[in-house]
Amino acid sequence: MNKSIYSFIISFLLSCFALSETNAQEKFFRAIGTPHQPKVEVSWNRYYTYEGVTEIMQKIAKAYPNLARLESIGKSVEGRNIWSIAISDFKTGNPDKKPAMYIDGNIHSNEIQGTEFSLYTAWYLTEMFDELDFIKELLQDKTFYIVPTINPDARDNFMKEPNTPHSPRSGMLVLDNDGDGEAGEDRFDDLNGDNHITLMIRKSTTGRFIKDPLDDRRLMEVGPEQKGEYEMLGFEGIDRDGDGRVNEDGIGYYDPNRDWGWKWQPDYVQRGAYKYPFSLPETRAVADFVMKHPNIAGAQSYHNYGGMILRGPGAEEDLDTYNKEDVKIYDAIGKKGEELIPGYKYLVVYKDLYSVFGGELDWFYGGRGIYTYTNELMVSYLYYHKNEGRANQEEELNVDKYLTFGDAFVPWVEYNHPQFGTIEVGGFKKNFSRAHPGFLLEQDAHRNMAFTIYHAYHTPKLSVLNVQEKSLGGGLKEITATIYNERLMPTHSSQDLKYNIERPDYVSISGANVVVGMVVENEDFNKVKEQVQNPSKISVANIPGLGTVKVRWIISGGGNYSIKVDSAKGGIVEWKK
Amino acid sequence: MIKHLLFTFFFGLLWFPLIAQNNYPTSQEITQRLQKLNTNKVASLTSLTKSEGGQDIWVLKVGTGDFNNKPAIAVVGGAEGFHVLSVELALQFAERLINLHPEILEKTTFYIFPNMSPDAYNQYYNNLKYERRGNATKADQDRDGSINEDPYEDLNKDGLITQMRIESPLGDYVLHPTDARVLVKADRAKGEAGSYIVYSEGIDNDKDGKLNEDLEEGIAFNTNFTYKFPVFQPLAGDFPVSQKETRALVDYLFDQWNIFAFVTFSPANNLSEPLKFNEGDAKKRVLTSMLKKDIATNKMVSDLYNKTVSQKAFQQDNQGTDGDFFQWAYFHFGRYSFSTPGWWIPEVKAEKTEEKEEEKDKKPDAKEKPIVTKESNFMAWADQQNLKNIFVPWITVSHPDFPNQKVEVGGIKPFVMQNPPFNMVDSIAIQHTNFILKLAAMQPKLEFHNLKVEKLSGGLSRITADLFNNSPLPTHSELGEKSRWLRKIRIDITKDKKEVIAGNTIHLIDKLDAFETKTMSWIVKGSGNVEIKAGAAHCGIATLNTKL
Repeated sequence: MNKSIYSFIISFLLSCFALSETNAQEKFFRAIGTPHQPKVEVSWNRYYTYEGVTEIMQKIAKAYPNLARLESIGKSVEGRNIWSIAISDFKTGNPDKKPAMYIDGNIHSNEIQGTEFSLYTAWYLTEMFDELDFIKELLQDKTFYIVPTINPDARDNFMKEPNTPHSPRSGMLVLDNDGDGEAGEDRFDDLNGDNHITLMIRKSTTGRFIKDPLDDRRLMEVGPEQKGEYEMLGFEGIDRDGDGRVNEDGIGYYDPNRDWGWKWQPDYVQRGAYKYPFSLPETRAVADFVMKHPNIAGAQSYHNYGGMILRGPGAEEDLDTYNKEDVKIYDAIGKKGEELIPGYKYLVVYKDLYSVFGGELDWFYGGRGIYTYTNELMVSYLYYHKNEGRANQEEELNVDKYLTFGDAFVPWVEYNHPQFGTIEVGGFKKNFSRAHPGFLLEQDAHRNMAFTIYHAYHTPKLSVLNVQEKSLGGGLKEITATIYNERLMPTHSSQDLKYNIERPDYVSISGANVVVGMVVENEDFNKVKEQVQNPSKISVANIPGLGTVKVRWIISGGGNYSIKVDSAKGGIVEWKK
Repeated sequence: MIKHLLFTFFFGLLWFPLIAQNNYPTSQEITQRLQKLNTNKVASLTSLTKSEGGQDIWVLKVGTGDFNNKPAIAVVGGAEGFHVLSVELALQFAERLINLHPEILEKTTFYIFPNMSPDAYNQYYNNLKYERRGNATKADQDRDGSINEDPYEDLNKDGLITQMRIESPLGDYVLHPTDARVLVKADRAKGEAGSYIVYSEGIDNDKDGKLNEDLEEGIAFNTNFTYKFPVFQPLAGDFPVSQKETRALVDYLFDQWNIFAFVTFSPANNLSEPLKFNEGDAKKRVLTSMLKKDIATNKMVSDLYNKTVSQKAFQQDNQGTDGDFFQWAYFHFGRYSFSTPGWWIPEVKAEKTEEKEEEKDKKPDAKEKPIVTKESNFMAWADQQNLKNIFVPWITVSHPDFPNQKVEVGGIKPFVMQNPPFNMVDSIAIQHTNFILKLAAMQPKLEFHNLKVEKLSGGLSRITADLFNNSPLPTHSELGEKSRWLRKIRIDITKDKKEVIAGNTIHLIDKLDAFETKTMSWIVKGSGNVEIKAGAAHCGIATLNTKL
């Protein structure tokens, strides 16, 4: 204990912290499912700025040098590092050769909690490695590449600058949205200086709304024959450029989730598309990373909100890409997700959400053959175990009254507007509705992590099941090796096989003089396919999920040979006689 | 004017001897010619990036005055590396523009990208010459996990990759009936048996039964764009705009708001004939047909081309290929986009033999049409022109993959079917320069007409003016109207907002059609000078000054 304390003494303050940690262990009783004595203390009931996120990642990497590796995969528009943390047991093989799960969050800057959910995963896996056999084995077999925020600039903008719950959504590039030749000349204005962009309303004889006499937070629409008292003027802002419009040219606008290289379409087809696939530095950084890590077999991207586990296709035009065999695997994992995360539904983007060309999950799957989901985090179900849908005003007002006690709403206050005259400003805060309230954050993070662990668990796991020898006489021997994949996913998705996206798997023999090599297609009827060129290294197109592949060599002489399976997404397995 | 002509004349005399050469330029010579142009103050030469093969990707911007706000034409060469003519045409356009027609720059700005495929282009001067498309990046063309493992081999050691034919009843080629130097596909529909298997020259290095399927070249510029990107196909790569050349060009173009049209010298041709309209495809959200109004524009420009360029269309069946540049410029960049190979092999009419009376009486479709392939037509044309050095006679070689068969190497030399003998290039360049200059003269042109200032009581005035597009081209292509990458027409009145009683100080309109007029009016207070400006970089800016 002393040793560990001394290692912590950097300052008086830090040593106090360490001591209080010692005492803490005597005060607490272990709760199942949560790291009890974490080396890295993190509160999972609040959100972290870019600086906070970076600090947590650095602490994890420092506390677990044999399990966590921090790396910048590129820079954002404003020059921030995009951090990736690789989590794996580094003592059991090269993490970049193990079957891997990629996780990112926050592609839409206002959809913040994916970052905390990703971070929670990194934290949980490292803290539980020594505690749970399951996690230990998982990290021996697999690697998790976790990139908590792939939009760090605008994440900070969302938190630190005035915004609505829906802005900026894009990154921090400022484009000309109204086609007048100027970029970003008419942004939001935080009239009441509370760092939230809420609504503007104005008393008006022709207004169609009244304030609810029982709850003056609530604006009610009056009946067709009734007279109202208020009109709605939109989000807080003033007409800065004198073109008669308010807030028409802010940050962006573009959508980083329309910037990916599978069936990409330009802005006139797909609103939000930027110039061409990976024309944004953030998406380019992820694409470069994925291209350099062919071991990624599964992927998860976190968005908000609505409680959805989504798979592609993003657009009906791309329906053919998702074929039966792969959909079976998507369904198996997605339906398990519905079970693990109550309130979330397993859905298909183009028919259950809206049409998207150039989305991240479509590139991961269509362009790289990686089984990928997008989760829309946060759902009404978490409030009262009822599904009231997105932005249900009644429910949200109720939550604010009885669960958050007024924390979520800015009361209406009068303001003298240069163009509109006397108005009132107020409404829900930017960190409500899309973002979880603090008390709901940790549970949902854990459940979503459990889903990604299930997903990662089912990336391929290969072994040499058995090796049979048969003498053919004349000093020749026939060696038949059976390679087994004990998990759900094949080493090549059928999308991958269709285009030969990833190289084949290689099963090679060394220490033997190979005369002939072949793949055994049907052992019972001796159907084989010979490989003439380089027969000691047999190319295998795919090793199916929960299936086997048999490879046969005829060798002359030979004593102690060894067999190696080398699969980009299935890892490396060696067998020695 | 006379002074100007004299200047042009003398300068012309000085200039032409300097470029006298007898073959297409090397990359080094291209750079030298561009650097020479760059000494002129209307031109500025920039290297956008260096290719993987270490070659500069040049852009020469040519303009005067407020050149960023004058409508511009981009001229692109080297879309395909083997199309060496295209580079020379772009270069000569730049030279002729600057040296002979500088007055055009008062109205129009030009961007010239002489060679977008320098890595592939250099194969023309390599010890081993073949028609190359890909750049110098590493690419696994057959996606088998090993890179470039099955390139060409020069079996007859002539420094050229030509064809290889193997005598075999399994083949699907026969000798051309009227020209045995070239081969033609056996007509299976008529039950014709083949006698030759035809490959490109090489060996099956990886013993996979396919020849030359993983060449030592990378990604082709003209397959790397987003429109109909041929994903995972050889020479295209894993995703669009993945290459340095492509990215550098596209990034640059997105910052040049004044380009209204592209002229690309590439194998595709929508100038001899406009693209076809398909109503169904034009209605889909993912467009695969030009829109109706844009087809009409294409038709008009195509007529201009056919009037200006003397060569008659023949076998011009390429109107765009997947992932190419010229279609991208229209479908994904919203600009008017035109492409021509610049030159093609003209039709060689078979010599008329005297027809016998009884044959004349036969129905025309009963007569055997002579088989004309691109190759046989080329050979006939070459004979007519008395061209030497375009054909390698077939010679027998011993081939490891076909040990007991007769294998011959020979055929038409690379490059000669796509690129004319160099002495023909000047006249082609002159005609195409003229075409581009005439296209420039058609550019969208905003003008103010019929200005009226009416005094109202109380110190108010009504200003009325017609904004007119004095051009046969709409200010925006129909597709460009939908694109965020073309600016709207912006009208500004320089008056304090408080003094503009009716009308905004800034007003945006989506477009003006060919020769369309829009009447604008404002009611303003007070007196003094008023300036009204209208336009956008790609259709020019009109200015109006009046006194109240």
